[in-house]
Amino acid sequence: MSKVVLEHLHCWYGQTHAVDDFSLVIEDGELCVLLGPTGCGKTSTLRMVAGFVRPAAGDIYLDGQRINDLYPGDRNIAMIFQSYALYPHMTVRKQFAFPLKAAKMPAQEIEQRIKETADFLHMHDFLDRHPGELSAGQQQRVAVGRALIRRPKVFLMDEPLSQLDARLRIEMRATLRRLQQDLGITTIYVTHDQLEAQSVGDKIVVMRRGRIQQVGSPVEIYSDPANLFVAGFIGSPSMNFFDCRLEQRDGQVYVRSANFTFPLKLELVQKVRGVPTEKQLVLGIRPEHIQLSPEGRTNAIPTEVYVLEPQSNELIVDLKLGDMSLKMRGDKREIGFRPQLNHKVWMEFQQEHLHLFDKSSEVCII
Amino acid sequence: MKRLKRVLGVVLALFVAAMFLFPLLWIVLSSFKTKLELLAVPPVFIFRPTVQNYINAFNSDLPVQVRNSLIIAISSTVISIVLGSLTAYGFSRYAIKGSDFLQFWILSLRMLPAIAVLVPFYLVFRTLGLLDRHIALILVYCLFNISFAVWVLKGFFDEIPPELEEAAMLDGYSPPQVFLKVSLPLARAGLATTAIFCLIQSLNEFLLAVSLTTRVAETATVGLSKMQTLMGIDWGLLSAGSILFMLPVVIFTILVRNELVRGMSFGRMR
Repeated sequence: MSKVVLEHLHCWYGQTHAVDDFSLVIEDGELCVLLGPTGCGKTSTLRMVAGFVRPAAGDIYLDGQRINDLYPGDRNIAMIFQSYALYPHMTVRKQFAFPLKAAKMPAQEIEQRIKETADFLHMHDFLDRHPGELSAGQQQRVAVGRALIRRPKVFLMDEPLSQLDARLRIEMRATLRRLQQDLGITTIYVTHDQLEAQSVGDKIVVMRRGRIQQVGSPVEIYSDPANLFVAGFIGSPSMNFFDCRLEQRDGQVYVRSANFTFPLKLELVQKVRGVPTEKQLVLGIRPEHIQLSPEGRTNAIPTEVYVLEPQSNELIVDLKLGDMSLKMRGDKREIGFRPQLNHKVWMEFQQEHLHLFDKSSEVCII
Repeated sequence: MKRLKRVLGVVLALFVAAMFLFPLLWIVLSSFKTKLELLAVPPVFIFRPTVQNYINAFNSDLPVQVRNSLIIAISSTVISIVLGSLTAYGFSRYAIKGSDFLQFWILSLRMLPAIAVLVPFYLVFRTLGLLDRHIALILVYCLFNISFAVWVLKGFFDEIPPELEEAAMLDGYSPPQVFLKVSLPLARAGLATTAIFCLIQSLNEFLLAVSLTTRVAETATVGLSKMQTLMGIDWGLLSAGSILFMLPVVIFTILVRNELVRGMSFGRMR
């Protein structure tokens, strides 16, 4: 059992409020991803949990025990650093033994543990090499092994995959996830890559400028973003946004933007009741929730194909709408026709996936 | 063209090496010559070597003086490395108020010409009753060596990524243990380089040594200079003595040569 509770954490670097009122509960065995752009405070939060940075205010609990004042080595926490932080002057075997020696473990038991860990990570062949003689992927495994061998209560991972090439990253992503689930170790995982966050996380915490924007499962974060920032940060290609207003006319509610107008479906009309028509809104629609058709239908919006970006099984189409552009994404077979460059096409939004945000507060309305 | 450049480079390197090595060669040859052979014009390069000069050197005050030199130089080097590495680590890792000023002050100690402090030092050590004692020279050399050690070693500690130390902290090591088990071993090249420089500096020093010692703590540099007497110079003895004095440093340098090369290039040769 190892549950991590963070309560009202604050961290300052000089005049910069790096972490601002951060509260979070991470359940036993959960993999929690801190996601956000560079400088959003995710690494600072991690470093406070590790004990490298003292929080200016707030409490950190591990299994109910307040660990704010504990030395990093006494917290029973292991970390995988972005740079792996392997000791260049030690062989892999020595790196593994290093934390165990600190705990004054008998030599025989250390040998046993090293053997188990090497079995587990398939690393017998390079136990006696130095980090400099290993490939990036092998170094990464050594870093994992060194963290694992202590059987810590909590794993901290600071962008553990960012040093690997794309292919290896996807491979190691699955390996790390599998390992974490097998061992059931509570993990805090920091990344700026939203795809990585969605593929490994049980829970994602989206951060910006030191503040939590939203906490939720990968699906929740994707389908119900709390605000404009989360909506724009999650998803690839990212959500399309248009400034718009509501308009009431002949008993129907319309969404009116500079380049198009369409009527809202009845279910949505319920939700926007009470939103004044003069309020500045932002319409958000994901590329995968736009449908294209070669000929016009009622309420379909005419656009022009600007760029075609074929993927392996999908097609990303950049559409031109007046002076704006937007992207749509769809399975090649499901699009139903072959969009041609510079040809006119009609698009429709899948209204059940449509979002409206308040432009000034950036909060999600629907 | 490329080939010509290479050849020229090698010739130039050989020429420079010869310039530097010739005095050494002359001293080695001279140390095995008799007085007559030494003064022969033109100089002889092939002769029957004699060890008489070495026997004479061993029977003079020189062994004691070399011993004094080594005691003083090694003590000063060890003290400088210990204090210097601790200070440098502090400057490198912690935010210290007035850090820049303090570092410059330490460096400025190194810039001090020895002759400027000679008289005050003499007076201080006379008052303390430390004249002609090893400890006097050890202290004075530390003054120069520590400031050098702090500056060189700070650069090496700066190069060590802080994550390595953080990893060791998480692994359960206390800050002093982290310093001893991670930071110091990683600064090994720097330590070797600093040690060699401090050692050579301390062994070579003449001015302070000749002023602050008279007999008991007299060092080899002073001893060798005293071989130039009113009766003339015994070049053979002087050469043999110089070589005996040189040997410890040469041996030490050969022992740490790998670290030294890395240290001189500031860790860039990996």
